[in-house]
Amino acid sequence: MKKTMKKTLGPVIGAALALALPFILRNGFDWNYGVQLACFFLLYAIAVSGLDILFGYAGQISLGHAAFFAIGAYGSVMLHQYANIPVFFSMIIAAAFATVVGAALAYPASKLVFHFLSLATIAFGEVVYQFVSQSPGSITGNFTGMFTQTVSLFGYKLNSFTKYYYFALAAAVILLVIKRNMIKSRVGRALIAIRENSHAAEGMGVNVRKYKIIAFAVSAFYTAYAGALYAHLVRYISPDTFAYKQSVMFMTMLLFGGTASIAGPMSGVLAVQALNECLRSAETYQMLIYGILLLTVIVVMPGGISGVVRDVAARIRYRKSGAAAAGDKKEEVDDHADN
Amino acid sequence: MLLQILISGLVIGSIYGLIALGYSLIYRSSGLMSFMQGDLLTVGAFLGYTFYGVMHIPFFISLILVIVIVFMIGFGVEKGVISILVKKGVLPIYTILATIAISYILQNGSMLIFGSDMKGYPQIFKIPYITIFGRSFQTEAILCIGASLLLMLVFSFFMNHTSIGTSMRASAMDPMAARACGIDVGLATGLSWAISAGIAAFAGMLIGPVYGVYTTLGAVIGRKGFSSAVIGGFGNMTGAIVGGLLLGVIETLLSAYISSAYKDMIAYALLLVFLFVKPTGLFNERAIAD
Repeated sequence: MKKTMKKTLGPVIGAALALALPFILRNGFDWNYGVQLACFFLLYAIAVSGLDILFGYAGQISLGHAAFFAIGAYGSVMLHQYANIPVFFSMIIAAAFATVVGAALAYPASKLVFHFLSLATIAFGEVVYQFVSQSPGSITGNFTGMFTQTVSLFGYKLNSFTKYYYFALAAAVILLVIKRNMIKSRVGRALIAIRENSHAAEGMGVNVRKYKIIAFAVSAFYTAYAGALYAHLVRYISPDTFAYKQSVMFMTMLLFGGTASIAGPMSGVLAVQALNECLRSAETYQMLIYGILLLTVIVVMPGGISGVVRDVAARIRYRKSGAAAAGDKKEEVDDHADN
Repeated sequence: MLLQILISGLVIGSIYGLIALGYSLIYRSSGLMSFMQGDLLTVGAFLGYTFYGVMHIPFFISLILVIVIVFMIGFGVEKGVISILVKKGVLPIYTILATIAISYILQNGSMLIFGSDMKGYPQIFKIPYITIFGRSFQTEAILCIGASLLLMLVFSFFMNHTSIGTSMRASAMDPMAARACGIDVGLATGLSWAISAGIAAFAGMLIGPVYGVYTTLGAVIGRKGFSSAVIGGFGNMTGAIVGGLLLGVIETLLSAYISSAYKDMIAYALLLVFLFVKPTGLFNERAIAD
């Protein structure tokens, strides 16, 4: 009884906090910029969760996810501008298009091993970047970029950060629930099998190529939808946002937080965002500090934030259970815990 | 006109080739990839500018100084970061990201130290131009092509016919067996990273006088170097240089005769095509198909 209450209490508090956040930030702290940051948090969380499906679960690296981010953003903006499709639908169409592109990329890429997959994705990212920055007939606005409008839901314009926050929150919740269910399904188990040992997975009857394509496609949808959210939140896009650096940023957020979980990508986004805000005043040193931190994280805590949390939690649990089971042999338990 | 285009294509191509040579060397001796070659090139170019352009140390002495310093950086990175990660048995992505992190540090660090404006090298040779078929070319440009071809031959020989080269290849193929044969695997891999870094610095000293030195000089060259390495066959020394020269010429021809808008795209498009269609490259190197 107590346990079930404990189990439901956490999510309820989380949901209440997520719903009340814009009001707390805007009315409590008079910090409208904070609401905008919260919107950014949600869309990056979607993008990085998408990358997590591909890298964390299926074990396929991508250093070109900025390309899907760009396809989502530019696709939605261009569909709205040239074909007059309402923004809400243009976002979904653009993300669907990115899904097709992701599958088309994965089909030949699925036979490449680790290092060379990263080269292929970098090349793909660069091709898309070059295309949007020097498009034929300047349809993407090239280096000048493109201005666009916010989302309008059947005539109701999301003209404040608070309104946009709820829109992004709904998308994030839906996509994260889908992710969780997918991971627990047959598809998720197949992806994990491929990550652990693709030859063994093949032997067990998993169609490796098919599931790699699925992972790429789903991942592309998430990141592209996040890109579309970005475009209509900022209402201006230019190629600079979608360069190689952005792909590295996504990967950093994922590794910083920890892979193959729901909370990992979110904590990574939060940490990197907080870092970026702190470094805003020290712009010239930004890359340097960023590089040093990234290096430290890789060498010292390769499991990311959620890995550290897991380790600490496991250690505490171990101590507790050890102390309960063999009260007077505590010292011995301590020795084990240290190992 | 055509000759001029070809020469300038060969100049940038030989730089791509030298960077690709470094990638191939690292891959052949440790099975890893380094994403910091481009920024080591920048560091080399800046150091060369400092020694030769500012402190007026004779060119060949500054060249040797620069190569030694960057050689040390390469060795230090392998010993201080990469080998630690490999020993921990982490996923290969972490070594890749570690080199990306170091490349950020190098790029931003050189901007902080040397400033973000473009630096011009003073001229290296007394004779500024060489005349070929009635057209004159910058002497440094000719040096660039000659030096890269020479290095290709040297390293091809070094990897395949010397005992150090053989021990490097052995330690990549099977570290444990190599150790059992008495090969110092740690030294071999460290040396390969150091030599690659030295080559990148050398390339930086070569390209500096032709293009000028600025902080993002190496970043793009570094990424295009991957394209040359894959075109030639990843891990193949001759392939690296041939792929680089080919890429440089194609790129320059394309921007001269068709449009300069797609100059950068072609390198990455070629990289994708080769990875998907012919991953073993022009020289049929089996490295990718492991």
